[in-house]
Amino acid sequence: MEMEHYNELNQHVKGVSLWQDALKRLKKNRMAMFGLYIIIFYALISLMAPILPIYSYKQQVLNHQYLPPSFKTAGQLLYEKKSYFLHAMAAKEGRTVLNSKEKKQLSDLKQSLAVEKKKLFNGKTVLVNQRHYLLGTDSLGRDLLARIIYGGQVSMMIGLIGALTSMFIGVVLGALSGYIGGRFDTLLMRFVDIMYSLPYLLLVIIFMAIFGRNIANLFFALAIVSWLTVARVVRGQVLSLKNSEFIEAARASGAGTGRIVFRHLIPNTSGVIIVYTTLTVPSFIMLEAFLSFLGLGVQAPFASWGVLIQNGVYAMTTYPWLLWFPAIAMTLFLFSMNFLGDGLRDALDPQSKNKL
Amino acid sequence: MTKYIIRRVLGLIPTIFIIITICFFFIRLAPGGPFSSEKKLPPQILKNMQKKYHMDQPLIVQYGQYLVDVLRGDLGPSYKYKDYDVNYFIKQTLPKSMLLGGLALLVALILGIGTGMISSLKRNSWIDYSSMSVAVIGISVPLFVIAPILMYIFAMKLNWLPVAGWLDDGGAKTLVLPVLSLSAPYFAMIARLSRASFLDSLRSDYIRTARAKGLKTSVIMFKHVLKGASLPVVSYLGPAFSGIITGSIVIEQIFRIPGLGRHFVQSAFNRDYTMIMGTVIVYSLILVFMNFLVDIIYGYLDPRISYS
Repeated sequence: MEMEHYNELNQHVKGVSLWQDALKRLKKNRMAMFGLYIIIFYALISLMAPILPIYSYKQQVLNHQYLPPSFKTAGQLLYEKKSYFLHAMAAKEGRTVLNSKEKKQLSDLKQSLAVEKKKLFNGKTVLVNQRHYLLGTDSLGRDLLARIIYGGQVSMMIGLIGALTSMFIGVVLGALSGYIGGRFDTLLMRFVDIMYSLPYLLLVIIFMAIFGRNIANLFFALAIVSWLTVARVVRGQVLSLKNSEFIEAARASGAGTGRIVFRHLIPNTSGVIIVYTTLTVPSFIMLEAFLSFLGLGVQAPFASWGVLIQNGVYAMTTYPWLLWFPAIAMTLFLFSMNFLGDGLRDALDPQSKNKL
Repeated sequence: MTKYIIRRVLGLIPTIFIIITICFFFIRLAPGGPFSSEKKLPPQILKNMQKKYHMDQPLIVQYGQYLVDVLRGDLGPSYKYKDYDVNYFIKQTLPKSMLLGGLALLVALILGIGTGMISSLKRNSWIDYSSMSVAVIGISVPLFVIAPILMYIFAMKLNWLPVAGWLDDGGAKTLVLPVLSLSAPYFAMIARLSRASFLDSLRSDYIRTARAKGLKTSVIMFKHVLKGASLPVVSYLGPAFSGIITGSIVIEQIFRIPGLGRHFVQSAFNRDYTMIMGTVIVYSLILVFMNFLVDIIYGYLDPRISYS
């Protein structure tokens, strides 16, 4: 229903909803928009991963271990590596040119590389030595770029699903607790308090170590504790809305508890909910990476950013790219999520600006 | 006040009790145990082992026995390391972890509040922008990325600081990198928090009065602003403590520090029940006590809070 609005001077006035207003403010926030574009880029890449021309994340090419990032083909790199090695050996003996034996080794290698080694993988023949490893390879000769993209899928999935689950539990329990009040509220908040005082990450570590390391357990372990803050925040919002006129009106016209909570109260807290969801995604990704770092997260052949970083830390002295690229990929995403979250908070609640 | 403290201390007991109970039954829910390994033990030996550690008795009896032992301050023998008990391990490792965590917190507090103070005084200057950008980096970049990168730059490339080690074999230099990396996220958060609250109080009337009296900026900052504006920082200390405890687990892994955190993860893998329990109890005691301390400081700083 379109309403025409006129002010006292009879000029046409267009109504601006909260969301339009927020969107306008968000668009003005350059960092938040930057974050948003980066997130869209990441999402597109990981959605299109199956059709992008990238290699498999689990195919191992054992003689391609630890190839550095480069635009050259793997064959060229192998040749250069051998030639560099032979020249270094020759220099040790005080020669600048290679002797015939070494030259033969090099030309043999060149020939064997030219006769393309085909590998059968998933029913497809792959020309292994023609590959370009833009970001290098890892200890098992797997393409790092592919591993970062597929690892990103896992990390982002965990972040998103985790945030949505904890949001769902937290919003429902928090809203009911705030609206119903009484004993239910006291019990729930008491429970939340106790859970807060538990060193919960330690419990998560124990849980993962003892009950086995798979993604389902990981979700469960993270979801049981992460809804606490959301429940508290939503409860606070509901408490402040509970006695407002529109709720009274709804009650007067005979709406039941369920209807009031789910149709009136929760939609009115959606600003807070959206902001918290955006800020929970990075914290979930960090948690998963933390557990993976301790060896308690996603297991091979799957990867996540945390797993890749952990592998990178142990190899960083000689193969620093194994640390840098996953670290940059993950950090950029976390950055963007945090900027977007901050921007959304400023946009939806302008008074919160400069507060934390 | 004394009454309040006594009541709070008494209130800590049920919390610790709940933690022990949850943890005790939680870790025994899982199949397998400390003696199940790749190589299967002969049944007779397994039986004897279980008997030695009282694991043949019903769970509830074990639980009661464990509670009694804990009350006496005995955390029991380690199931994995024969002839060692948990108390010994904790005595060996806890001081190292405490030193690491305590220093990290101190560094985070001093640097964080200092940065926040300067940023708020020179609002919108390049100092403000650059230090707040550093703070955003500190919040978004996880600990286990910061630590290896600092290690790579300062220990491996520049050779200024040792890669790993501890006081007795490398001197105080070994502490620099672990402490700095552990404090980074909390430094960042504290800097942001204190900047915001300093800005708030700089705008308030009592500061304007102080300025009108002709007081020097340094006196205003340290005597008037600091006390009121540190409230958000103090209430952030609780989460910071638990963050530093879990963070030190990672830092101890990366820098090979023989602290409690490394033992904790290892004992969780080993299903060393008493070790897990002992570490969790120690960690929870520290956490609960620190939260209690924060509440006391909070009340001291903000007299409007009453303890009734």
